Amino acid sequence: MAAEQTHEARAQEERDVGCYVYGILPGDVELTPDAHGIQERDVDLVRHGEIAALVSEIELGTPIGRPEELTAHQRLLDDAAVEVPVLPLRFGAVLTSREAVEEELLAANHDQFLAALNEIEGRVEYILKGRYEERVLLREIIEENPEAARLREEIRDRPEELTHDARIRLGELINQAIAAKREADTQRAVQALAGHAVANALREPTHQEDAVQAAFLVETAQRSEFEKAVEELAQEWQGRVNLRLLGPMAPYDFVITPRAGA
Amino acid sequence: MTTAVQPAGGGGMGRSSGGGLADVIDTILDKGLVIDAYVRVSLVGIEVLAIDARIVIASVETYLQFAEAANRLDLTQTEEQGIPGLVKDMQEGGAKHKTRGAIEGVGEKLRDFVGDDDAERAVRRRRRQEEE
Repeated sequence: MAAEQTHEARAQEERDVGCYVYGILPGDVELTPDAHGIQERDVDLVRHGEIAALVSEIELGTPIGRPEELTAHQRLLDDAAVEVPVLPLRFGAVLTSREAVEEELLAANHDQFLAALNEIEGRVEYILKGRYEERVLLREIIEENPEAARLREEIRDRPEELTHDARIRLGELINQAIAAKREADTQRAVQALAGHAVANALREPTHQEDAVQAAFLVETAQRSEFEKAVEELAQEWQGRVNLRLLGPMAPYDFVITPRAGA
Repeated sequence: MTTAVQPAGGGGMGRSSGGGLADVIDTILDKGLVIDAYVRVSLVGIEVLAIDARIVIASVETYLQFAEAANRLDLTQTEEQGIPGLVKDMQEGGAKHKTRGAIEGVGEKLRDFVGDDDAERAVRRRRRQEEE
């Protein structure tokens, strides 16, 4: 009886292990022995035809998404992307077994994945993020916009409860002005960098004072030119926009999955 | 399911604090291939919140904050403005600090993933000869 329960428990445990998929790679790759993924699991390859999936076992009972798991997912993909073409999967892709990965994912999409891998061969992604320096930004807006300057004088050193409407109007004007500057500065960044990239994809702002958020797909051979162009842009905007460049990384912003039936 | 390598449209709304984790969340929870054969896995609550809250909405609150920031701004300080900046630059070792800052990010990544030849990478290409 007790032995039977143990056996059942073990069977249950086996069912509760899934196969976490990080991304799709060409078949002619190999892993270094110390590659680890989320939950500190060993990373492995499931191969089919000319492609392979980068996978590791995962416990199904436990929610995932802790910082170290998110970081492990991206680190593994970015690490691989510098060496080989990688189609990164969104965080959280789990299939029931290695067999399911081979049949339902790799075999079912073999030719499309292979074509996509060929397309990104020798290319990596960078993400450019810029945030305005608030004081410099507000100064620009007030100097360029007479109505904003007038409203600022109106509220100047007066209590908030007496100037509520003027404050709302001023804030709204500032918000509109930032949106216009963001659009212009995003254009400027794309214009400065697009010549060194194969493709670009704009991201929506994630903060009210974001100047630019854009992803660029760059040929490996063009990387130093691209980085140099970013450096020149950073100099051009020095003191006005704080630029950050992330990458090289897997081409997250350049793989899309059209909805089935769409 | 078809796959194409081309810019993915839309999405990407997030409340990035500029930290490393925010960058990761913006990227791997919002971008990348979606496959339709998932086993359902639950995500830790806080990260789900992070995706659900991914939108910049201009609100009355935002407007009042902008107005107050403009109110506090001292326009007469145009000349002095350079001075604290200069001091800061000198303390941090040069006027090009900000630029270098942007590029240092790249440098770190490069060191992590490219520049350090001693470090074994997780994945590498088989040499063609070895396959035969």
